Amino acid sequence: MAAIEMKNIVKQYGDGFAAVNDVSIDVADGEFVILVGPSGCGKSTLLRMIVGLEDITSGDMIIGGERVNDMAPRDRDLAMVFQNYALYPHLTVYENIAFPLRLAKNFSESEIDEKVRTASATLELDEHLDRKPGNLSGGQRQRVAMGRAIVRDAKAFLFDEPLSNLDAKLRGQMRTEISRLQRRLGITTVYVTHDQTEAMTLGDRVAVLRRGFMEQLATPRELYENPVNLFVAGFIGSPPMNFLPATVEGDMVELPFGRVKIPAEKAARAKGRGLLIAGIRPEHFEDASVMDRATVAEGSTFRAHVDVTEWLGDQQYAYIPFEAPPEVQAQLTQLERDLDGESIRTQLVVSLDSASRVPEGEEIELYVNAAKMHLFDPSTGDNLTVTSPHEETSAHSSSTSSSSSGASVAR
Amino acid sequence: MRTKVGQGIGLVLILLWCLFPVAWILSLSFKSVEEAAAGSPQFLPKDPTLDTYQVVLQDADFQRALINSFGISLIATTLSVILATLAAYAIARLDFTGKRVVLSIALAIAMFPVVSLVGPLFDQWRVLGLFDTWPGLIIPYMSFTLPLAIWTLSAFFREIPWEMEQAAQVDGATAWQAFRKVIVPLAAPGVFTAAILTFFFAWNDFVFGISLTSTTDARPVPAQLAFFVGPDQFNAPTSTLAAASMMVTVPIIIIVLLFQRKIVAGLTSGAVKG
Repeated sequence: MAAIEMKNIVKQYGDGFAAVNDVSIDVADGEFVILVGPSGCGKSTLLRMIVGLEDITSGDMIIGGERVNDMAPRDRDLAMVFQNYALYPHLTVYENIAFPLRLAKNFSESEIDEKVRTASATLELDEHLDRKPGNLSGGQRQRVAMGRAIVRDAKAFLFDEPLSNLDAKLRGQMRTEISRLQRRLGITTVYVTHDQTEAMTLGDRVAVLRRGFMEQLATPRELYENPVNLFVAGFIGSPPMNFLPATVEGDMVELPFGRVKIPAEKAARAKGRGLLIAGIRPEHFEDASVMDRATVAEGSTFRAHVDVTEWLGDQQYAYIPFEAPPEVQAQLTQLERDLDGESIRTQLVVSLDSASRVPEGEEIELYVNAAKMHLFDPSTGDNLTVTSPHEETSAHSSSTSSSSSGASVAR
Repeated sequence: MRTKVGQGIGLVLILLWCLFPVAWILSLSFKSVEEAAAGSPQFLPKDPTLDTYQVVLQDADFQRALINSFGISLIATTLSVILATLAAYAIARLDFTGKRVVLSIALAIAMFPVVSLVGPLFDQWRVLGLFDTWPGLIIPYMSFTLPLAIWTLSAFFREIPWEMEQAAQVDGATAWQAFRKVIVPLAAPGVFTAAILTFFFAWNDFVFGISLTSTTDARPVPAQLAFFVGPDQFNAPTSTLAAASMMVTVPIIIIVLLFQRKIVAGLTSGAVKG
């Protein structure tokens, strides 16, 4: 086991395209770090640079205190699970798992057997050991790929979107399984995904990447509650954060639906900035009619026309379309594109209590917890209302993340 | 049901069409020399005999030709497949300048008419001392079968996902180990296909065999057949030739049946996501 330090890593292709730009991440010994971002953000490239399948243009890759930039993959002693598993189809499950051990040449036959059986027992593959990968289901293949990784005591695990080929149910199970395995083995892990649920649930810390730049490196909670910019705010959370045009006057914020009061401290930071983008998560709205009067009176309420509702049993979502001014619209369209999405119309998504009986197509009174509102600068996308300053922020400010370590992980 | 019957009839017709000449040779080979030359052909031999096989087998020149044929074909096949595997791997996986040139030249060589090269080769081989030797036949066989083998194998290599190799490298394999333990086993159907094609070419060749040899030192079977003589100049050795033909056909059939099991399509299934 070892820590992985990435210092100002740059990957530039022959045509000058920079897939990874000046990314610095410290992965502490035993820590579980997620690289997340939309497609084309450089997360897989970064992972492949760690394992050595991709050359590093500049910067230092340090694994266990040793600079490995020029080392071949086999000398780095890392285990990787590929997106498509890359099992050896001509070998049985047993031989697939034993493959790295046989290559290492310093294990006796009985040692190999013991290690393979331990790994297969951990992953419940015992009954499949004599089968070929071609006869296994997707989930079983995935486990064989994991078995091949855990069978040797590698310095770190690397996962490249390991669950993206599984169906939703299996994905949930394997996610828990990976988390349990990592906690038990306590091995340094870097995990690439585009799925923010995986990122939030698995990681000790999460690095959000966009177009080769690291936007934010923080714990999942920190990312959710204090996104440093529009991109992170929009990427983390499902359904995503709502972005609304807003202007601040005193401690009141003018939204398309009305005026709401925000804490004086937040208002002060946004003073005199003109048109801003307000970010409010869906769960910070509520149907005022199902809440008690006292709570409603403390916050702000507004009336809005509900277009569509989706009832999911434990909660329900209501959609409220609105018109955004062109200055904000441009930024939101760009953001949507960065997030791999396609904005059809600007709409507000609110999460309501499932007890609420909101009739579609009618006006209802909505409560909003304005204290949780974020305000973003429309031109830069920076969050003006980050509550606690933290050192491990964005790559744009090229701050080093040296002070972060496993100890800062609060989970 | 009706389509199945139709299929069956069609199959029988095709088999008859293809196998009738073989059956004719087979029946000829059991006829005595006199009967085959008699001029009133009937399909089944009146008086089946194994004399012809005995004559062929006891012919020292034929024995020698059989050894030549096996030796030359096997060596040419082995060398050709090894070289083609390495070359095809490089072509499928590596980016190097002149890759397209190599491929087009290989294709051009494969399309070159064999006969047009016999004259120049004959002269060259005499000068170089390769005339009437095993290498003198192995070299041209290889140069004509390599292009086909390279094209076949590089198609197979391209089908193998890159990740297989990368996974092997991460697991601790050197490039050579990854090639030998992962890529070659996966390309086995391609290797066997290339081997069969090469062996056929070498085994069946007549033009080089007759032109580049002068004695039984290197003369292969197809050429040797031309030197069979009948009891006198008016009686062609038809039945002896038929017996010899059967004896050179059988190894090919056995080899194909053996290799056929190895050519299992979809060997890579299960490597990647299902």
